[in-house]
Formats: sequence, structure tokens, C-alpha cells
Amino acid sequence: MVKRVTTVLLNLWFYPLFVIYTLLAVPAMSLVVILSFPGTWRTALKRFRGAIKVYGNVIIKVLPFPWVRIRFKDYAPQEKAGPYIFVVNHPAATDAFLMAVLPGEIVQVVNKWPFKLPVLGQFARWAGYLSVNEMPYEEFFARAVRYVEEGVSVVVFPEGTRSSSKAMGQFHGAMFRVALKTQATIVPVCIWGNKDIPERGSMVLRPGTIKVHKLKAVVFDEYKEMNPFKLKNYIRRLIAVELEGM
Amino acid sequence: MTDDDIRRMVNEVFIESFEIEPAKIKPEANIFMDLGLDSLDVVDLVVALQNKFNVKIRSDERVRDIRTLADLQNFIIALRNEGAFTQNG
Repeated sequence: MVKRVTTVLLNLWFYPLFVIYTLLAVPAMSLVVILSFPGTWRTALKRFRGAIKVYGNVIIKVLPFPWVRIRFKDYAPQEKAGPYIFVVNHPAATDAFLMAVLPGEIVQVVNKWPFKLPVLGQFARWAGYLSVNEMPYEEFFARAVRYVEEGVSVVVFPEGTRSSSKAMGQFHGAMFRVALKTQATIVPVCIWGNKDIPERGSMVLRPGTIKVHKLKAVVFDEYKEMNPFKLKNYIRRLIAVELEGM
Repeated sequence: MTDDDIRRMVNEVFIESFEIEPAKIKPEANIFMDLGLDSLDVVDLVVALQNKFNVKIRSDERVRDIRTLADLQNFIIALRNEGAFTQNG
């Protein structure tokens, strides 16, 4: 009974605030870009991506509080600001929002559906997020390499689809080929606790604690002898071991 | 080259090129779901098979239907039966 009441309260609280906050954030974020001029397009993009992270942090940490809490654990907070290739397991639809906790300027590799979200989808497009299923591999590879070379970290969910459990799906290797090409540092990231926030096929948020663990970085020297197949499975194992203990 | 030779050599490709544990190498293993290859790895697999068997593998209907290790082994056996090894080797 108490659980049901808190679930109702959470949803009655969160969704109206989410809409109001988004309506206010859209012009504010547009202003961030406009105020970046005169300046380079690169500076504007950097600020816009920063604004998206601020927006995301409010969505995940402030609006659903105290019913939903985020526990972020950084195993190597002293590491440099990036660029990194963040490799993340994919238990739920909200994973993309949780990436706001990661450091530095980031773009995400996402499926088609986030681009179809009203407003947010357009923002993702403007921020240069990569819709991996809507472009040829060669174009994806070239753009991802360019991001890393420009100093932008790239977040990827290599399972491609939500797992809803600790048993991850197989990893797709495209981003690991980018890592080998750019010699980028790879940072495994584990998410657990959000599979019911909301559960698959539903919009109903349930109270709970979401854990995000940023693991120790894997530098190029550690993986330079590996082929893409071995590298993706090496990183997958690191995530699997951490997930077991979450 | 016997059928068993071909099966053994196909298995070797997975063990040598992809470092897959021999225990996972079973005829019924799905190349994608069980062994973890993706569409890009398949390109590497084709190159490794071409080098191993000295044969040219073209993308045709039979290749697109391959799902399991046994499917792949049977495909290579079929290539041998067609004389592809001799012709291209």
C-alpha cells in the first residue's frame, strides 16, 4: 500500500515538473548557443553539450528526489578530463539521461528512437549525437573518430538494446574499432537499479536507488595488442564483474 | 581434405583469430548470439577463412543464411565440393 502511494506521488510530482522544466530549459539552452556568438561553432557546441548535461543532471537528481536517488561511484576521479570512450551496459530506457553524471564534454551513440522524442530528439541531433542505425558504418566510424580527435568523449551502449538484467547481451564492436584507431582511453561504466524506473513498455516511475559506477580507465597500452573482438569482450567482462557486485 | 579436416580448421579460425574458448565451439553454437561475433567481426571472419582455406568467399544467399557453426562448416564443405579450393587455391 505504502509502495503504491509513493509510486503515485512520485509520478504526480515528476511528470508535471518534467514538462515545466523542459519548457523552461529549451529557451535557456537555445540562449546558451546564441550567447556563444561571436565565437566559433565549436565553442557553441561545447556549451550546448554542457547545457544538456546540466539539464540531464536536474532530470535525474533533482526532479525525482527523494523517491529516486542516484548513487554515483567514481573509481578513478583524478583521471584527466578526456576524451574517453565510455562503454556502458544498457538495462533501461533512462540510461541516456544518467550519462549526465559523467565528466567532460560528451556525445552519445544512440538508437533511432531517442531522436524521435519531442524536443529532446532535436536537441540530441543538434548536439551531434550519433544515430548508429541511421548511417552507414563508414560514416559512423569517421564521425566518431573525429569527435575523439576533437577531444569529445563518446558514450556507447554496445549491447544495442536494453537487457533489463545483469546478463548483458553480446557487444557490438564498432566503437572498439574507433578506440583502436584513435588510441583513446576506454572507461567502462555500469548502471544498475533503474530497470523499473520506468519498466519496459511503461511510463510509470517506481521509487528506488540507481547506481552508476565509473570504473578505472583502460588505456591504449593495455589493449593495443588486442583485436576488436577481443577488446570488446575484455571490456564486457570488466563490466560483468562489477555488475555482479552491484 | 576430409569433412572432418574442414570442421577442425573452421574451429581453429574461431580459436586462433577470435580467441574463443574451445569449450564454446559447438556445431549448434550461434555465431552471433553464442560466440558473440557482430556484422563487422564477420568481415574479419571471412578474411580469416579465405586465408585458411585459400578460397574466395563471395556474399551470396548461402552466406546470408549462415547462423550456426555447423552452417558455416557445411558451407565450406560445399565450397570444397564445388571445386572452389582447387580453382582459387
